[in-house]
Order: sequence, then structure tokens, then C-alpha cells
Amino acid sequence: MQISPDILFSIGGFSVTNTVVATLITDVVIIVLVMLVAKKVSLKPKGVQNAVEAIIDYFRETTETIAGNRASFIYPWVVSFFLFIVISNLVAQIPGFESIRFHSLSSGEHGVPLLRAATSDLNLTLALAVTSVVTTHFLSIKHTGVKGYLTRFFSFKMFPVFLFVGALEFVNEIAKFISFSFRLFGNIFAGEKVMATMYGMCSFGLPLPFIALELMVALIQAIVFAMLTMAFMHIMTEQSH
Amino acid sequence: MEIIQKFGLEAKLFLFQLANFLIIVFILKKFLFAPLRKMLDERKRKIEQSLIDAENAKVALDNAALERKKILSEAKVNADKLTSSLKVAIEEEKQKASLEARNQSLAILDEAKHQAGLEFDNISKQLGKMSIDLSEKVLTKVLSGLFSEEEKQKLMSRALEKIDEKITN
Repeated sequence: MQISPDILFSIGGFSVTNTVVATLITDVVIIVLVMLVAKKVSLKPKGVQNAVEAIIDYFRETTETIAGNRASFIYPWVVSFFLFIVISNLVAQIPGFESIRFHSLSSGEHGVPLLRAATSDLNLTLALAVTSVVTTHFLSIKHTGVKGYLTRFFSFKMFPVFLFVGALEFVNEIAKFISFSFRLFGNIFAGEKVMATMYGMCSFGLPLPFIALELMVALIQAIVFAMLTMAFMHIMTEQSH
Repeated sequence: MEIIQKFGLEAKLFLFQLANFLIIVFILKKFLFAPLRKMLDERKRKIEQSLIDAENAKVALDNAALERKKILSEAKVNADKLTSSLKVAIEEEKQKASLEARNQSLAILDEAKHQAGLEFDNISKQLGKMSIDLSEKVLTKVLSGLFSEEEKQKLMSRALEKIDEKITN
């Protein structure tokens, strides 16, 4: 079973994979959404503005409940992660993903899928994980100071208990890269394989419950990623005692 | 290394995805969150202003209702005063008119009595005169055969004297 995305063609040494194409489609959807909302933003919301406002309001209120006044700089990141992941996952449910084939010189007789879910590429999920963790640490230094940030990892209080706790914290931060990236990648990749199997067995009727399941997974994974980012940002920007 | 290759991890792809996501975050922050936040703040301000206006309007309405109640009660008091003073005036006017009417009727009655007395006196005099004339004639007729001229004259003059006395009484 092939886990890595398929290379469609190369531009100046940069390999354009089917997940890159899906990422670009996600970008286009987000930019169109932004343009639609920004163009018609009004005091009396209607249409797509209602939906976007509802999502932003939900995450802003949830972040405010958890992080209080620090919500102002946390929630834009949380909403960004949510929107990018959920749109990316939902775009992958459009018919044509995995089924439309692309023929290149290097591809075999049946070619390779032109489109594949962007989040089924570890490069993307790892990039999202790195962004989430690095931003969290940056915000932690900004809001707790360098000393406050370092005491999370190196503290001689109750020696050697807190030094050991700091070492565990460090390992935990490294583990975040793996847990963030592999959770999202694993769920979406596995979902794609299940869908491909179902379509292979019987294209009519049988995939329907799995489509519903995949839609749920798409939403749940986006929420999980966004909520974990929110929680970590809240914990890391809080003054340590 | 084999695992990394198997998962398709590649530095260029990773950096592309990282840069792509950061650009998306920038676009969202600049063109979606900022205008929406501005609009949400504006909406919040308008709602707060509307609530304050509504509260002020309620206070003004309450004050107007109190003022209305006060004016109505004052008008009622004034109307009551006016009604009672009017009643007194009507009563006074009624009594005055009644008194005047009574006086007038008494005056008319007195005048009528006086007129009737005068009429009565006049008629009495006329009747006396008529009765004297009649008596004179009757006596003349009756006594012409019984008495001499001298006796007649005496009787007649005595009778006339008596009649005169009665009339004068």
C-alpha cells in the first residue's frame, strides 16, 4: 500500500503531488469564502456571513471561556486551523478524488489519482503541527517572558522533582509534533482507503454510510486539532506557578 | 530514513505546505477576522446604544405617564372645584329668582287686593245709590196713598238718613 502522495509532475525541481493540487483547491475555496464574506460584510448578516460568523463566534466564545482575555490572540489561530482542516477534509469528499486518473511518463498503465485529500499527506499535517507547536511556544515566550518560559523545562525547585517534570514537559512538546501530525494524517488516510475499498466492492449504495462517516471524521478531526491547539496555547501562555 | 521516504516526507513539500498555511492564516487574519471583528464591535456598540436608547425611552415614557396622571388629577380637582362653585352659584341664583318671584307675586297680589277693594267700594257706592233710588221709588209708590205729603217727606228723609248711615258704615 502506498502511503506517500503521487508525484504528478515537477516544476524546477519541486515535485507537484496530488495532495499539493488538493491543497491549492483548498486555498482557492478559502480565498473565495474570504472574498464573499469580506465583500458583503454587514451589520445584518445573511448567507455565508451567517455561517462564518457562527463558526468564529463559537470558537471565540469557547476560547474566552477557557483562556479569558488571552482569547483575542489565541482564537484567530484556532479558527484558522479549523477552517483550513475542515475545508481540506470536506473538499476530499467531492466525487473525483482518487477516481480521476492522471497519466504521466513515470506513472503506470492506470496512471495515478489526480486528486488526493490534502490532509492525507504527512507533509501537510506535519507542517500544521509545527505551526501549532512553534506558535504556541512563541506566544508563551511573548506572554510569560523568557524566564517564565524556561522555568517550565528547567526548574531546581524541590530538586530533582521539577527537573524531572521539566524533562517530561520537553518530551511532551516533542510528542505533540507526532501526535498532531499522525492523528490527522492517520484518520484521513485510513478514511480514504476505506472509501476506495467500498467503491471497489460496490459503487452504488454501499459507500453511502461510509461517506456520512467520513464527513463526521472530517469535522471531528478539524475540531480536535483546533481545540488541542487552543488548550495548549492556553496552558503555555498562563503564568507558571 | 526508509520510514520518512515511505511516508513521502520531503523538505520542499513540507516547506511549501508550511508557507501555504501561513499565507492562508495571514489572509484569514487580514481579510476575514479583522473586518468581521470590526463589524462585530460596531454591532456590539450599536446594540449597547440601542439598549441605552430603549432605557431612556422607557424612562421618558414613565415620566410622560406620571405627568399625564398628574395633569389628569389636577384637571379633575379643578373640574370638581368648578362644579361645586357652579352648584353654589346656581343655588344662589335659584333662591334669588325665587325670592324675586315671591316678592313680585306678593306685590301683584297686594295690587290686586287694592284694586279689588277699590272696585268693591265703587260697586258698593253704586249699589247704595241704586238701592237709595230704588227705595225712593218703592217708598214713593208704596207710601203715596198711605201718608200725607208731610208724613211722606218725613219718612222718606228718615229712611234716606238711615241708608246714608249704613252706606257710610
